[in-house]
Amino acid sequence: MQITRDWAFDGADGQGVDVAVVDSGIDPTHPAVGPVSSAVALTWDPLAEQVIAADGPHTDLFGHGTACAGIIRAVAPQCRLHSVRVLGERLSGKGPVFAHGLRHAMTIARVVNLSLSTSRPEYRTLFYEIADEAAFRGVVLVCAVNNAPAPSYPSQFASVVSVAANDGAGPYDLDCNPTPPVEFGAPGIGVTVPWLNGGSIVTTGNSYAAPHVAGLVARLLSKHPTLTPYEVKTVLRHVSRNAQRG
Amino acid sequence: MTSPDALLAELGRVAQAIGPAVAPPDTSRLLAALADTARRLFGAAACSLALLTDDESELVYTTAAGAGAQDVTGMRIPASQGVAGWVVQSGQPVSIDSPADDPRFARDVAESTGYVPREILAVPVASATTMLGVLTLLDRDTARPGAVQDMALLQVFADQAAIALEGSRAFTRMGSVLLTAVATAAAADAELADIASSLAVAVPPVDRDLAELAEVFALLSRHSAADRRLAVRLVREVVAHTERVAARPGA
Repeated sequence: MQITRDWAFDGADGQGVDVAVVDSGIDPTHPAVGPVSSAVALTWDPLAEQVIAADGPHTDLFGHGTACAGIIRAVAPQCRLHSVRVLGERLSGKGPVFAHGLRHAMTIARVVNLSLSTSRPEYRTLFYEIADEAAFRGVVLVCAVNNAPAPSYPSQFASVVSVAANDGAGPYDLDCNPTPPVEFGAPGIGVTVPWLNGGSIVTTGNSYAAPHVAGLVARLLSKHPTLTPYEVKTVLRHVSRNAQRG
Repeated sequence: MTSPDALLAELGRVAQAIGPAVAPPDTSRLLAALADTARRLFGAAACSLALLTDDESELVYTTAAGAGAQDVTGMRIPASQGVAGWVVQSGQPVSIDSPADDPRFARDVAESTGYVPREILAVPVASATTMLGVLTLLDRDTARPGAVQDMALLQVFADQAAIALEGSRAFTRMGSVLLTAVATAAAADAELADIASSLAVAVPPVDRDLAELAEVFALLSRHSAADRRLAVRLVREVVAHTERVAARPGA
Protein backbone atom coordinates (compact mmCIF):
# COMPACT_ATOMS: atom_id res chain seq x y z
CA MET A 1 0.00 0.00 0.00
CA GLN A 2 1.26 3.47 -0.91
CA ILE A 3 0.47 6.39 1.38
CA THR A 4 -0.55 9.12 -1.02
CA ARG A 5 -2.63 12.27 -0.79
CA ASP A 6 -5.50 10.48 -2.54
CA TRP A 7 -5.31 7.53 -0.16
CA ALA A 8 -5.37 9.88 2.81
CA PHE A 9 -7.98 12.47 1.87
CA ASP A 10 -9.76 11.72 -1.39
CA GLY A 11 -13.54 11.63 -0.93
CA ALA A 12 -13.23 12.36 2.82
CA ASP A 13 -15.02 15.32 4.45
CA GLY A 14 -14.58 14.81 8.21
CA GLN A 15 -17.92 13.00 8.55
CA GLY A 16 -18.31 11.40 11.98
CA VAL A 17 -15.19 12.99 13.48
CA ASP A 18 -15.45 15.25 16.54
CA VAL A 19 -13.07 18.22 16.62
CA ALA A 20 -12.71 20.42 19.72
CA VAL A 21 -11.43 23.98 19.54
CA VAL A 22 -9.86 25.03 22.86
CA ASP A 23 -9.82 28.81 22.47
CA SER A 24 -11.82 32.01 22.98
CA GLY A 25 -15.19 30.42 22.12
CA ILE A 26 -16.91 29.87 18.76
CA ASP A 27 -19.68 32.01 17.25
CA PRO A 28 -22.05 29.30 15.95
CA THR A 29 -24.09 31.86 14.00
CA HIS A 30 -21.20 32.78 11.71
CA PRO A 31 -22.07 31.52 8.21
CA ALA A 32 -18.55 30.19 7.66
CA VAL A 33 -18.66 28.09 10.83
CA GLY A 34 -22.04 26.40 10.87
CA PRO A 35 -23.41 24.30 13.70
CA VAL A 36 -21.45 23.75 16.91
CA SER A 37 -22.29 20.38 18.49
CA SER A 38 -21.36 21.31 22.06
CA ALA A 39 -20.04 24.31 23.94
CA VAL A 40 -18.61 24.82 27.40
CA ALA A 41 -17.10 27.97 28.90
CA LEU A 42 -14.55 27.52 31.68
CA THR A 43 -13.58 30.22 34.17
CA TRP A 44 -11.52 30.45 37.32
CA ASP A 45 -13.11 31.12 40.68
CA PRO A 46 -10.33 32.85 42.65
CA LEU A 47 -12.08 32.47 46.02
CA ALA A 48 -12.78 28.77 45.76
CA GLU A 49 -9.57 28.33 43.73
CA GLN A 50 -11.29 26.06 41.25
CA VAL A 51 -12.45 25.91 37.66
CA ILE A 52 -16.13 26.55 36.96
CA ALA A 53 -17.74 25.04 33.85
CA ALA A 54 -20.80 26.59 32.16
CA ASP A 55 -22.37 24.28 29.58
CA GLY A 56 -24.37 25.71 26.71
CA PRO A 57 -24.06 28.28 23.93
CA HIS A 58 -21.59 31.10 24.44
CA THR A 59 -20.12 33.94 22.42
CA ASP A 60 -16.60 34.27 21.13
CA LEU A 61 -14.77 36.84 23.27
CA PHE A 62 -12.21 37.83 20.67
CA GLY A 63 -12.91 36.27 17.27
CA HIS A 64 -9.94 33.93 17.36
CA GLY A 65 -11.84 30.74 18.21
CA THR A 66 -14.34 31.48 15.44
CA ALA A 67 -11.43 31.95 13.03
CA CYS A 68 -9.98 28.55 13.97
CA ALA A 69 -13.40 26.88 13.72
CA GLY A 70 -13.94 28.42 10.27
CA ILE A 71 -10.60 27.11 9.02
CA ILE A 72 -11.42 23.59 10.27
CA ARG A 73 -14.92 23.77 8.74
CA ALA A 74 -13.48 24.81 5.35
CA VAL A 75 -11.09 21.82 5.29
CA ALA A 76 -13.43 19.22 6.85
CA PRO A 77 -16.99 20.44 6.14
CA GLN A 78 -18.82 17.50 7.72
CA CYS A 79 -16.91 17.23 11.01
CA ARG A 80 -18.66 17.92 14.34
CA LEU A 81 -17.24 21.04 16.00
CA HIS A 82 -17.07 21.54 19.78
CA SER A 83 -16.19 24.80 21.51
CA VAL A 84 -14.19 24.72 24.74
CA ARG A 85 -13.77 28.32 25.87
CA VAL A 86 -10.78 28.75 28.19
CA LEU A 87 -10.15 32.48 28.00
CA GLY A 88 -12.07 34.79 30.27
CA GLU A 89 -12.10 38.19 31.89
CA ARG A 90 -8.81 37.82 33.74
CA LEU A 91 -5.51 36.09 33.32
CA SER A 92 -5.41 34.59 36.81
CA GLY A 93 -6.05 30.86 36.84
CA LYS A 94 -5.26 30.64 33.14
CA GLY A 95 -3.07 27.55 33.53
CA PRO A 96 -5.60 25.41 35.48
CA VAL A 97 -8.46 26.56 33.22
CA PHE A 98 -6.46 25.68 30.12
CA ALA A 99 -5.57 22.25 31.56
CA HIS A 100 -9.19 21.57 32.54
CA GLY A 101 -10.32 22.57 29.04
CA LEU A 102 -7.85 20.21 27.41
CA ARG A 103 -8.90 17.29 29.60
CA HIS A 104 -12.55 17.97 28.78
CA ALA A 105 -11.78 18.29 25.07
CA MET A 106 -10.13 14.90 24.88
CA THR A 107 -13.20 13.21 26.38
CA ILE A 108 -15.47 14.53 23.62
CA ALA A 109 -13.24 14.74 20.54
CA ARG A 110 -10.80 12.73 18.44
CA VAL A 111 -9.00 15.87 17.27
CA VAL A 112 -8.23 18.85 19.52
CA ASN A 113 -7.06 22.16 18.10
CA LEU A 114 -4.89 24.26 20.40
CA SER A 115 -3.79 27.58 19.09
CA LEU A 116 -2.83 28.58 22.64
CA SER A 117 0.04 27.49 24.80
CA THR A 118 1.68 28.40 28.06
CA SER A 119 5.31 29.25 28.67
CA ARG A 120 5.01 29.04 32.48
CA PRO A 121 7.50 26.38 33.63
CA GLU A 122 5.27 25.40 36.58
CA TYR A 123 2.74 23.94 34.13
CA ARG A 124 5.23 21.91 32.13
CA THR A 125 4.67 18.63 34.00
CA LEU A 126 0.89 19.02 34.07
CA PHE A 127 0.69 19.55 30.30
CA TYR A 128 3.17 16.75 29.73
CA GLU A 129 0.82 14.36 31.55
CA ILE A 130 -2.16 15.64 29.59
CA ALA A 131 -0.35 15.23 26.26
CA ASP A 132 0.55 11.63 27.18
CA GLU A 133 -3.03 10.94 28.24
CA ALA A 134 -4.28 12.22 24.89
CA ALA A 135 -1.80 10.08 22.93
CA PHE A 136 -2.82 6.91 24.80
CA ARG A 137 -6.52 7.69 24.26
CA GLY A 138 -5.90 8.05 20.54
CA VAL A 139 -6.72 11.77 20.57
CA VAL A 140 -4.67 13.92 18.20
CA LEU A 141 -3.58 17.23 19.77
CA VAL A 142 -2.76 19.74 17.05
CA CYS A 143 -0.82 22.65 18.57
CA ALA A 144 0.25 25.97 17.15
CA VAL A 145 3.88 26.72 17.85
CA ASN A 146 4.39 29.88 19.91
CA ASN A 147 5.10 32.84 17.62
CA ALA A 148 7.65 34.13 20.12
CA PRO A 149 10.92 32.20 20.41
CA ALA A 150 10.26 30.83 23.90
CA PRO A 151 9.50 27.34 25.22
CA SER A 152 5.78 26.64 25.11
CA TYR A 153 3.68 23.76 26.35
CA PRO A 154 2.24 21.48 25.18
CA SER A 155 3.29 22.45 21.63
CA GLN A 156 6.87 21.25 22.02
CA PHE A 157 6.09 17.77 23.35
CA ALA A 158 6.85 14.84 21.05
CA SER A 159 3.34 13.34 21.12
CA VAL A 160 1.52 16.40 19.74
CA VAL A 161 1.35 17.59 16.14
CA SER A 162 3.09 21.00 16.25
CA VAL A 163 2.46 23.45 13.45
CA ALA A 164 3.91 26.77 12.27
CA ALA A 165 2.71 29.01 9.44
CA ASN A 166 4.03 28.69 5.90
CA ASP A 167 3.14 30.87 2.92
CA GLY A 168 1.06 28.19 1.19
CA ALA A 169 -2.51 28.87 0.08
CA GLY A 170 -3.80 25.50 -1.15
CA PRO A 171 -5.58 22.96 1.03
CA TYR A 172 -2.68 20.47 0.80
CA ASP A 173 0.19 22.94 1.14
CA LEU A 174 1.71 21.05 4.03
CA ASP A 175 5.45 20.98 4.78
CA CYS A 176 7.30 18.70 7.17
CA ASN A 177 10.27 19.95 9.15
CA PRO A 178 13.25 17.61 9.43
CA THR A 179 14.44 19.46 12.56
CA PRO A 180 11.69 19.41 15.24
CA PRO A 181 10.24 20.41 17.70
CA VAL A 182 8.24 22.25 15.02
CA GLU A 183 7.07 19.35 12.86
CA PHE A 184 4.77 20.80 10.21
CA GLY A 185 4.12 23.98 8.26
CA ALA A 186 0.66 24.89 6.93
CA PRO A 187 -0.98 28.03 5.46
CA GLY A 188 -1.04 30.85 8.03
CA ILE A 189 0.33 33.98 6.36
CA GLY A 190 -2.13 36.52 5.01
CA VAL A 191 -5.07 34.12 5.31
CA THR A 192 -8.71 35.28 5.27
CA VAL A 193 -10.62 33.93 8.26
CA PRO A 194 -14.06 34.46 9.83
CA TRP A 195 -14.13 36.86 12.81
CA LEU A 196 -16.69 38.57 15.06
CA ASN A 197 -20.09 39.93 13.95
CA GLY A 198 -20.24 37.61 10.95
CA GLY A 199 -17.26 39.39 9.42
CA SER A 200 -13.84 38.28 8.27
CA ILE A 201 -10.26 39.52 8.49
CA VAL A 202 -6.93 38.90 6.80
CA THR A 203 -4.41 37.74 9.38
CA THR A 204 -1.05 36.08 9.97
CA GLY A 205 0.13 33.69 12.67
CA ASN A 206 0.96 30.12 13.60
CA SER A 207 -2.39 29.91 15.32
CA TYR A 208 -4.15 29.81 11.92
CA ALA A 209 -1.86 27.09 10.59
CA ALA A 210 -2.79 24.63 13.37
CA PRO A 211 -6.54 24.47 12.57
CA HIS A 212 -5.70 23.85 8.92
CA VAL A 213 -3.85 20.70 9.99
CA ALA A 214 -6.62 19.83 12.50
CA GLY A 215 -9.06 19.92 9.58
CA LEU A 216 -6.84 17.65 7.48
CA VAL A 217 -6.53 15.22 10.42
CA ALA A 218 -10.34 15.16 10.76
CA ARG A 219 -10.65 14.29 7.08
CA LEU A 220 -7.99 11.60 7.38
CA LEU A 221 -9.71 10.05 10.42
CA SER A 222 -13.12 10.12 8.74
CA LYS A 223 -11.67 7.89 6.03
CA HIS A 224 -9.26 5.89 8.21
CA PRO A 225 -10.80 5.90 11.70
CA THR A 226 -8.43 3.39 13.30
CA LEU A 227 -5.23 5.40 12.88
CA THR A 228 -3.32 6.25 16.08
CA PRO A 229 -1.82 9.72 16.68
CA TYR A 230 1.63 8.45 15.65
CA GLU A 231 0.24 6.92 12.45
CA VAL A 232 -1.51 10.21 11.73
CA LYS A 233 1.84 12.00 12.00
CA THR A 234 3.43 9.49 9.64
CA VAL A 235 0.70 10.07 7.06
CA LEU A 236 1.00 13.86 7.37
CA ARG A 237 4.72 13.55 6.80
CA HIS A 238 4.22 11.38 3.71
CA VAL A 239 1.76 13.76 2.08
CA SER A 240 3.87 16.88 2.76
CA ARG A 241 5.08 18.88 -0.22
CA ASN A 242 8.72 18.35 0.70
CA ALA A 243 8.46 14.70 1.80
CA GLN A 244 11.42 12.46 0.96
CA ARG A 245 9.69 9.49 -0.60
CA GLY A 246 11.84 6.48 -1.34
CA MET B 1 15.02 41.80 71.80
CA THR B 2 13.09 42.40 68.58
CA SER B 3 11.95 39.18 66.90
CA PRO B 4 13.15 38.46 63.34
CA ASP B 5 9.49 38.54 62.22
CA ALA B 6 8.93 42.06 63.47
CA LEU B 7 12.32 43.25 62.23
CA LEU B 8 11.80 41.86 58.74
CA ALA B 9 8.23 43.18 58.56
CA GLU B 10 9.47 46.65 59.47
CA LEU B 11 12.29 46.38 56.94
CA GLY B 12 9.76 45.47 54.24
CA ARG B 13 7.48 48.34 55.19
CA VAL B 14 10.26 50.92 55.17
CA ALA B 15 11.72 49.67 51.89
CA GLN B 16 8.26 49.71 50.30
CA ALA B 17 7.84 53.35 51.33
CA ILE B 18 11.32 54.43 50.21
CA GLY B 19 11.23 52.61 46.85
CA PRO B 20 9.35 55.24 44.82
CA ALA B 21 11.73 57.96 46.07
CA VAL B 22 14.79 56.25 44.66
CA ALA B 23 13.17 54.93 41.45
CA PRO B 24 14.67 56.09 38.15
CA PRO B 25 12.40 59.03 37.29
CA ASP B 26 12.29 58.67 33.51
CA THR B 27 10.54 55.38 32.79
CA SER B 28 7.52 57.07 31.26
CA ARG B 29 9.75 59.24 29.05
CA LEU B 30 11.68 56.17 27.99
CA LEU B 31 8.44 54.39 27.05
CA ALA B 32 7.20 57.45 25.16
CA ALA B 33 10.47 57.58 23.21
CA LEU B 34 10.20 53.88 22.51
CA ALA B 35 6.65 54.20 21.11
CA ASP B 36 7.66 57.16 18.98
CA THR B 37 10.78 55.41 17.66
CA ALA B 38 8.74 52.33 16.74
CA ARG B 39 6.15 54.49 14.99
CA ARG B 40 8.84 56.25 12.92
CA LEU B 41 10.79 53.09 12.12
CA PHE B 42 7.73 51.26 10.81
CA GLY B 43 6.35 54.35 9.13
CA ALA B 44 3.16 53.72 11.10
CA ALA B 45 0.21 56.02 11.75
CA ALA B 46 0.30 55.32 15.49
CA CYS B 47 1.99 53.27 18.18
CA SER B 48 0.60 52.74 21.68
CA LEU B 49 1.35 50.88 24.88
CA ALA B 50 -1.45 49.58 27.12
CA LEU B 51 -0.71 48.07 30.53
CA LEU B 52 -2.74 45.60 32.58
CA THR B 53 -4.17 46.90 35.84
CA ASP B 54 -3.10 45.15 39.07
CA ASP B 55 -6.22 42.97 39.07
CA GLU B 56 -5.68 42.17 35.35
CA SER B 57 -9.26 43.10 34.46
CA GLU B 58 -8.46 46.16 32.34
CA LEU B 59 -5.88 47.55 29.96
CA VAL B 60 -4.87 51.19 30.42
CA TYR B 61 -3.23 53.07 27.53
CA THR B 62 -0.31 54.80 29.23
CA THR B 63 1.75 55.82 26.22
CA ALA B 64 0.87 56.74 22.65
CA ALA B 65 2.49 58.35 19.63
CA GLY B 66 0.94 59.46 16.35
CA ALA B 67 -2.68 59.57 15.18
CA GLY B 68 -5.22 59.75 18.02
CA ALA B 69 -2.46 59.80 20.67
CA GLN B 70 -4.23 62.43 22.80
CA ASP B 71 -7.52 60.53 22.76
CA VAL B 72 -6.05 57.15 23.45
CA THR B 73 -3.78 58.09 26.37
CA GLY B 74 -5.49 57.28 29.66
CA MET B 75 -8.20 55.23 28.00
CA ARG B 76 -9.21 51.97 29.71
CA ILE B 77 -10.66 48.91 27.99
CA PRO B 78 -11.68 45.53 29.46
CA ALA B 79 -8.90 42.94 29.09
CA SER B 80 -11.55 40.44 28.01
CA GLN B 81 -12.18 41.82 24.54
CA GLY B 82 -10.71 43.25 21.39
CA VAL B 83 -7.41 42.72 19.68
CA ALA B 84 -5.37 44.03 22.65
CA GLY B 85 -7.31 41.74 25.01
CA TRP B 86 -6.57 38.73 22.84
CA VAL B 87 -2.83 39.50 22.87
CA VAL B 88 -2.55 39.67 26.68
CA GLN B 89 -4.85 36.67 27.19
CA SER B 90 -3.13 34.45 24.65
CA GLY B 91 0.39 35.83 24.96
CA GLN B 92 0.56 35.70 21.16
CA PRO B 93 1.31 38.50 18.70
CA VAL B 94 -1.43 39.38 16.22
CA SER B 95 -1.45 40.79 12.72
CA ILE B 96 -4.80 41.83 11.26
CA ASP B 97 -5.75 43.46 7.98
CA SER B 98 -9.22 44.56 7.10
CA PRO B 99 -10.33 43.03 3.85
CA ALA B 100 -11.36 45.89 1.57
CA ASP B 101 -14.93 44.60 1.34
CA ASP B 102 -15.44 44.01 5.05
CA PRO B 103 -14.76 46.86 7.47
CA ARG B 104 -16.50 45.24 10.46
CA PHE B 105 -13.40 44.04 12.24
CA ALA B 106 -12.10 47.55 12.87
CA ARG B 107 -15.14 48.46 14.94
CA ASP B 108 -13.75 47.66 18.37
CA VAL B 109 -10.41 49.28 17.61
CA ALA B 110 -11.94 52.35 16.02
CA GLU B 111 -14.39 52.80 18.87
CA SER B 112 -11.57 52.75 21.35
CA THR B 113 -9.01 54.88 19.52
CA GLY B 114 -11.08 57.23 17.38
CA TYR B 115 -8.97 56.15 14.44
CA VAL B 116 -10.02 53.52 11.90
CA PRO B 117 -6.98 51.50 10.89
CA ARG B 118 -6.66 49.23 7.88
CA GLU B 119 -4.00 47.16 9.62
CA ILE B 120 -3.06 46.31 13.21
CA LEU B 121 0.08 44.68 14.52
CA ALA B 122 0.04 43.95 18.26
CA VAL B 123 2.59 42.09 20.39
CA PRO B 124 2.64 41.10 24.07
CA VAL B 125 4.75 43.03 26.58
CA ALA B 126 5.79 40.44 29.14
CA SER B 127 8.56 39.57 31.55
CA ALA B 128 9.66 35.97 32.04
CA THR B 129 6.90 35.39 34.57
CA THR B 130 4.32 38.15 34.13
CA MET B 131 2.11 39.52 31.36
CA LEU B 132 2.38 43.30 31.56
CA GLY B 133 0.50 44.66 28.54
CA VAL B 134 0.43 45.08 24.78
CA LEU B 135 2.30 47.21 22.23
CA THR B 136 0.16 48.09 19.21
CA LEU B 137 1.13 49.51 15.82
CA LEU B 138 -1.53 50.89 13.47
CA ASP B 139 -1.06 51.09 9.68
CA ARG B 140 2.56 50.37 8.91
CA ASP B 141 4.10 51.86 5.80
CA THR B 142 2.61 49.78 2.98
CA ALA B 143 6.04 49.48 1.35
CA ARG B 144 7.37 47.49 4.32
CA PRO B 145 7.86 43.71 4.18
CA GLY B 146 5.24 41.24 5.41
CA ALA B 147 3.75 41.12 8.86
CA VAL B 148 5.82 38.13 9.96
CA GLN B 149 9.13 40.03 9.85
CA ASP B 150 7.71 43.20 11.38
CA MET B 151 5.96 41.24 14.13
CA ALA B 152 9.37 39.92 15.21
CA LEU B 153 10.90 43.40 15.02
CA LEU B 154 8.08 45.00 17.02
CA GLN B 155 8.56 42.27 19.63
CA VAL B 156 12.11 43.59 20.19
CA PHE B 157 10.60 46.97 21.12
CA ALA B 158 8.06 45.26 23.38
CA ASP B 159 10.82 43.33 25.15
CA GLN B 160 12.67 46.58 25.84
CA ALA B 161 9.48 48.11 27.24
CA ALA B 162 9.09 45.05 29.48
CA ILE B 163 12.63 45.47 30.83
CA ALA B 164 12.01 49.16 31.59
CA LEU B 165 8.70 48.38 33.29
CA GLU B 166 10.15 45.54 35.34
CA GLY B 167 12.98 47.77 36.51
CA SER B 168 10.58 50.49 37.51
CA ARG B 169 8.24 48.07 39.28
CA ALA B 170 11.08 46.70 41.37
CA PHE B 171 11.17 50.13 43.04
CA THR B 172 7.43 50.45 43.60
CA ARG B 173 7.52 47.00 45.23
CA MET B 174 10.87 47.40 46.90
CA GLY B 175 9.75 45.87 50.21
CA SER B 176 8.75 42.61 48.50
CA VAL B 177 11.87 42.63 46.35
CA LEU B 178 14.11 43.12 49.39
CA LEU B 179 12.41 40.40 51.44
CA THR B 180 12.59 37.98 48.51
CA ALA B 181 16.32 38.73 48.32
CA VAL B 182 16.63 38.06 52.08
CA ALA B 183 14.78 34.76 51.66
CA THR B 184 17.18 33.72 48.91
CA ALA B 185 20.25 34.82 50.85
CA ALA B 186 19.03 33.01 53.99
CA ALA B 187 18.39 29.73 52.18
CA ALA B 188 20.61 27.87 54.67
CA ASP B 189 18.45 29.08 57.57
CA ALA B 190 15.12 27.52 56.63
CA GLU B 191 13.16 29.27 59.37
CA LEU B 192 14.41 32.75 58.47
CA ALA B 193 13.92 32.09 54.75
CA ASP B 194 10.32 30.98 55.39
CA ILE B 195 9.57 34.11 57.42
CA ALA B 196 11.10 36.38 54.76
CA SER B 197 9.32 34.74 51.83
CA SER B 198 5.93 34.74 53.54
CA LEU B 199 6.40 38.40 54.48
CA ALA B 200 7.51 39.22 50.92
CA VAL B 201 4.09 38.34 49.52
CA ALA B 202 2.29 40.08 52.38
CA VAL B 203 3.97 43.51 52.31
CA PRO B 204 1.10 45.97 51.95
CA PRO B 205 1.34 48.17 48.85
CA VAL B 206 2.48 51.64 49.74
CA ASP B 207 -0.24 54.29 49.85
CA ARG B 208 -0.53 56.01 46.45
CA ASP B 209 -0.33 59.53 47.88
CA LEU B 210 2.80 58.68 49.84
CA ALA B 211 4.34 57.06 46.78
CA GLU B 212 3.62 60.20 44.78
CA LEU B 213 5.14 62.37 47.50
CA ALA B 214 8.26 60.20 47.43
CA GLU B 215 8.46 60.54 43.64
CA VAL B 216 8.14 64.31 43.89
CA PHE B 217 10.97 64.38 46.42
CA ALA B 218 13.07 62.21 44.12
CA LEU B 219 12.74 64.90 41.43
CA LEU B 220 14.36 67.38 43.84
CA SER B 221 17.66 65.60 43.33
CA ARG B 222 17.94 67.62 40.13
CA HIS B 223 17.55 70.92 41.92
CA SER B 224 19.75 72.95 44.26
CA ALA B 225 20.39 72.21 47.94
CA ALA B 226 18.48 75.39 48.83
CA ASP B 227 15.41 74.14 46.92
CA ARG B 228 15.60 70.82 48.73
CA ARG B 229 15.83 72.53 52.16
CA LEU B 230 12.82 74.67 51.27
CA ALA B 231 10.81 71.57 50.31
CA VAL B 232 11.72 69.80 53.55
CA ARG B 233 10.71 72.87 55.59
CA LEU B 234 7.37 73.08 53.76
CA VAL B 235 6.56 69.45 54.44
CA ARG B 236 7.62 69.77 58.09
CA GLU B 237 5.26 72.76 58.42
CA VAL B 238 2.40 70.70 56.96
CA VAL B 239 3.09 67.82 59.36
CA ALA B 240 3.36 70.20 62.34
CA HIS B 241 0.11 71.88 61.36
CA THR B 242 -1.68 68.54 61.00
CA GLU B 243 -0.43 67.44 64.41
CA ARG B 244 -1.60 70.69 66.05
CA VAL B 245 -5.06 70.26 64.52
CA ALA B 246 -5.23 66.62 65.59
CA ALA B 247 -4.21 67.53 69.17
CA ARG B 248 -7.07 70.01 69.59
CA PRO B 249 -9.84 68.67 71.81
CA GLY B 250 -12.92 67.76 69.77
CA ALA B 251 -11.04 68.01 66.49
